[in-house]
Amino acid sequence: MLPEMLLELRPNLDYAAVVVLFCIGLYAVIVKNNLIKKLLGLNIMETAVFAFIVTSGMVEGGAPPVLGPGVMPPLASPLPHALILTGIVVALATTALALALIIRIYLQHGTIEADQLRELD
Amino acid sequence: MAAALTVSWSALAAWPHWLIVLILLPLGGAVLTPALYALQRRLVPWWALLVAGLTALTVLPLLWRLAHEGPFSYLPGGWARPYGVELRFDEFAALLAAAVALLAPPVLLFSRRYAARAVPAGRLPFYYTLLLLNLGGLLGLAITADLFNLFVFLEVVSLSAYALVAVGGRPVAELAAFKYLLMGAISSLLILLAVGILFALTGSLNMADVAQRLPALATPAALTLAAAALLVGFMLKAALFPLHNWLPEAHASAPGAVSAVLSGLVVKAGIIGLVRTYQLFAGVELLDTANLGAILVWLGAASVVMGSFFAVFQHDLKLMLAYSTITNIGYIVMGWALASPQAMLGASLHLFNHALIKTTLFLAAGALIYRTGLRTLEELRGIGRTMPLNCAALALGALAIVGVPPTAGFVGKWFIALGALQAGRPFFALVVVFGALLAAVYYVRIINAFYFREPEQKAVVTAREVPWSMLAPVLLLALLCLGIGLLARLPVEFLEPAVARLLDGRS
Repeated sequence: MLPEMLLELRPNLDYAAVVVLFCIGLYAVIVKNNLIKKLLGLNIMETAVFAFIVTSGMVEGGAPPVLGPGVMPPLASPLPHALILTGIVVALATTALALALIIRIYLQHGTIEADQLRELD
Repeated sequence: MAAALTVSWSALAAWPHWLIVLILLPLGGAVLTPALYALQRRLVPWWALLVAGLTALTVLPLLWRLAHEGPFSYLPGGWARPYGVELRFDEFAALLAAAVALLAPPVLLFSRRYAARAVPAGRLPFYYTLLLLNLGGLLGLAITADLFNLFVFLEVVSLSAYALVAVGGRPVAELAAFKYLLMGAISSLLILLAVGILFALTGSLNMADVAQRLPALATPAALTLAAAALLVGFMLKAALFPLHNWLPEAHASAPGAVSAVLSGLVVKAGIIGLVRTYQLFAGVELLDTANLGAILVWLGAASVVMGSFFAVFQHDLKLMLAYSTITNIGYIVMGWALASPQAMLGASLHLFNHALIKTTLFLAAGALIYRTGLRTLEELRGIGRTMPLNCAALALGALAIVGVPPTAGFVGKWFIALGALQAGRPFFALVVVFGALLAAVYYVRIINAFYFREPEQKAVVTAREVPWSMLAPVLLLALLCLGIGLLARLPVEFLEPAVARLLDGRS
């Protein structure tokens, strides 16, 4: 039963990996108690989405628009890479802001554990 | 004379580059703000006000052209679509852009005195930078016709909003900002994922182009995943029940002028996103958009009831206003999802009117807190005697948001209720009425506390009206709450063809 499913997944193994990674990240964001671990979970989710978009740039049998006809496959579309470069910058800004907020929270409350912060409210 | 004026107006409106100026002005102004602070720190508030004013003026020729020519596009760099990036000014973009244009100058004028006290001195340049970035991002989000730019502008809006919540430095605010960031980042990721799926499916990022290509696809699973990710992502951004948890604390703990922008404008980014999602998938037969609509109608109705329900039990003035935002987002989403012409018209009107009313309310509440430092209704009782003008503005806003005719809040709700009847679903017309009644319960509590109770706190007895630079924007907006309700014909006639086009699926 299970091997058959895996065989079915094989052509889309990259997408399956992305889904698993996304779920690991989401799990960490929801379940982990430490704010930094939540943030790490968020970063894992980000990586999953970026990986998905980058892999979608691989086109089997694609032809390069600019280079001459002599170029050999495999070829990748450069557009997703450009998009994800922007995406990484956004993720960096998010992470930096979140870390700054975590530092401020620690300075003001003396803890970054979500349950202890909830008791403080 | 009139003819000459008309000609010069149309000549002005014909200049093709207004659309890009609309984004570059606030974003450029934002980036230059810290530099100006280093040179002349006293000029920074005036600079921000100038940038916001010029941005507001830029919207005028765009609206003129839209009214005369219908929706139009701008292609930066001249690359033909779908290869290049496209900016598009349609009626829904105009709605959000007009709201930003109308509200940005009063908020920034109010901020000059308010932020000087509510924000630590060293953070003032960042306050103005973030506020201008936020407004620029909203304008970009409204006019972009490109999926990836939608994501980028959404992130500009969101990131500046997270930071703005924390900028005042209240202890609660930083934790609220972090929760907001976590939820916001998850929703942004879902939206990016959907953009990636749509790009992988169609090889295009231009929204109109994608919408044309989607019906030809035969991959229901991928389409459903993309639609669901977009829907949940934008629902989180709009704080639709049951994804509303992050909103009240974030909006209530931010500085007053920031709350006004967050509650009035930033949550509307999620609504605009939902509109764009609808435009993308309207022609796809594999997906049953009627089913999506059915879910959204119920979630909208639940938002209306639950938002009011939570608000009734609050003591903190700003928390009440924040919960009331959830209610009003519910109205807008419910109106949209009912998908009858009048309900959609009502939802579009309410999007604009709620922005106006909620900004009025939050600015007035911010002014009360500025003078007294008190936040709960118990403490603020009797404040109507010592700050009569400010409280009159707040009361007018309260009447408007309850939906008393002829105020601004009435028009949208009226059309949504009519639209529910038109769609053959009278139950949701009842929800509109019930929501208004619940809202009346807690807004009457506010008015009662301010006007008909004896003051107890010393700060209330000794309070004076806020300075004119804060009072004037509040009063102006409060009068507009009244005036726009009386002038409702104009936007109705303006929006009717857009709604009809949208329902026909040729956006």
